[in-house]
Amino acid sequence: MSDDLSQVKLPDDDGRVPVRLDVNGRARTLRVHPTQTLLDALREQLRLHGARSGCGVGMCGACTVIIDEQAVSGCLTMAALCDGRQVRTVEGLEARDGTLSPVPEAFLRHRAFQCSYCTSGFVLALEALLAADPEPDEAAVREAFSGHICRCGSYSRIMAAAREVAGIGTALDVAAVETRERA
Amino acid sequence: MSAPAVFFPRTVAEAVELLDAYDGSAKLVAGGTALTLMLQQRLVSPEALVSLRDVPGLGGTSVEGGVVRLGALVTHTQAARHALVRAHLPVAATAFSLVGNAQVRAAATVGGVLAEADYASDPPAALLALDAEVLAVGPGGERRMPIAEFLVGFYQTTLAPEEIVTRVDVPALPPTAGSAYLKHTSRSHEDRPCVGVAAVVRSDGDGTCRDLRVAVGAACDRPLRLVDVEAGAVGSPLDDAAVEAVATAYAERVDPVADVRGSAWYRREMVQVWVRRAVHAARRAAEHTTNDQREGAVL
Ligand SMILES: Cc1cc2nc3c(=O)[nH]c(=O)nc-3n(C[C@H](O)[C@H](O)[C@H](O)COP(=O)(O)OP(=O)(O)OC[C@H]3O[C@@H](n4cnc5c(N)ncnc54)[C@H](O)[C@@H]3O)c2cc1C
Ligand code: FES
Ligand code: FES
Repeated sequence: MSDDLSQVKLPDDDGRVPVRLDVNGRARTLRVHPTQTLLDALREQLRLHGARSGCGVGMCGACTVIIDEQAVSGCLTMAALCDGRQVRTVEGLEARDGTLSPVPEAFLRHRAFQCSYCTSGFVLALEALLAADPEPDEAAVREAFSGHICRCGSYSRIMAAAREVAGIGTALDVAAVETRERA
Repeated sequence: MSAPAVFFPRTVAEAVELLDAYDGSAKLVAGGTALTLMLQQRLVSPEALVSLRDVPGLGGTSVEGGVVRLGALVTHTQAARHALVRAHLPVAATAFSLVGNAQVRAAATVGGVLAEADYASDPPAALLALDAEVLAVGPGGERRMPIAEFLVGFYQTTLAPEEIVTRVDVPALPPTAGSAYLKHTSRSHEDRPCVGVAAVVRSDGDGTCRDLRVAVGAACDRPLRLVDVEAGAVGSPLDDAAVEAVATAYAERVDPVADVRGSAWYRREMVQVWVRRAVHAARRAAEHTTNDQREGAVL
């Protein structure tokens, strides 16, 4: 067996192992319990609260992060096993000057949420899909949204925002409909 | 519980050596979707975690002499979308595509779902209907076993603690075969299956059944195939009455589990319904391929 140390991580006296991550373009080194989830590490150690804990068992999508281009559940991923990986969270979609990337911008404009607990998950799922396939059809969007639950039932607005950024047909302009209804 | 050490071996041999050294107290990690939850719930407390992510050569899909080779680290998403799997093993592509949700499929692996041997799974039934073979490497070298011998019970396989699944070999379906995987969920669309049925049908031009394979998943401790029932259908037309007889035989002989997805009584009923539907679907698919081929021959 090779004794290259990057292949072995022995826990220290506190039972923690080091992990190096690129988080939203910034190199971070943290110490985690070997079985700690990435979701926990992001929230507790790095104070990045965009990824949320919903079900904790891979069924709601609230904890979604992008690891090396793939949207995955932070609650099903062990932080220690992400050593050397690129992690993107919803915080990474905001530029220094506060400009949002097109996906969260569309979600905002369509007000595709009520409580917004699920929003970062939907946004990252769509971000990852568009990076892999810039012109997805609606079936691909719906597949990417599988495992994402919006308890507030904002699905029609979420789909309107998604269809707009994905360039699928003409998105229903919910704001215009409301203005018309109010008039 | 003391914290486990974390290893990233670079070869299968190194990984086997580690598992051997820890003598059953280390856990391999592939996609981590099952193991992360077991660790959070403290159902297991290994002394070491051995990640397969840096082991090259386990993530490929290829075809060799009519056999599709799926590497142990191929993810469910990759298996569901791969052109070779869709062309030669459509029933497996469907089963992988119906697992859980997109995030789970992006991480979960072919080796993981087999080693986990959770009865409430989709891919194992499809792989059993396809007569897949599992390849494993341990301290004594490589061995190969039919999936029917690999899966032995609830969460139980014949894999030794120091063995690693490296690949699954799946014979390509003949182009004239029709197949289907139907998943019945009883709680939500993205739930694990209550019952899943994989069926393969091949018939002669006159409708005589030449091959029938039916594997029922998630209904009992491991996917169920009744080879005598399958063989009994070969040689005569697979008409509606014959399909019903097959469905009845599976429903009578399954030893159904009772869990949150259905009582034993309900599962038995659902086995009858979904075996019937899956065989009908496979028969229809076979009729289409035979018709296509015949038209192809005329043209
Ligand atoms: C929310 C959710 C929904 C799900 N829904 C479904 C569903 O609808 N249908 C379905 O079929 N499944 C479903 N699953 C189960 C899922 O498919 C499995 O968790 C997954 O396949 C396990 O693969 P993995 O690579 O993540 O395994 P891991 O979690 O990495 O490992 C699982 C076990 O297998 C061992 N192992 C892994 N790879 C190997 C190997 N190469 N050799 C030897 N041992 C190995 C590990 O040591 C561990 O004991 C669901 C899971 C979740 C979390
Ligand atoms: S918290 Fe991870 S999927 Fe629900
Ligand atoms: S906006 Fe409340 S859960 Fe989606």
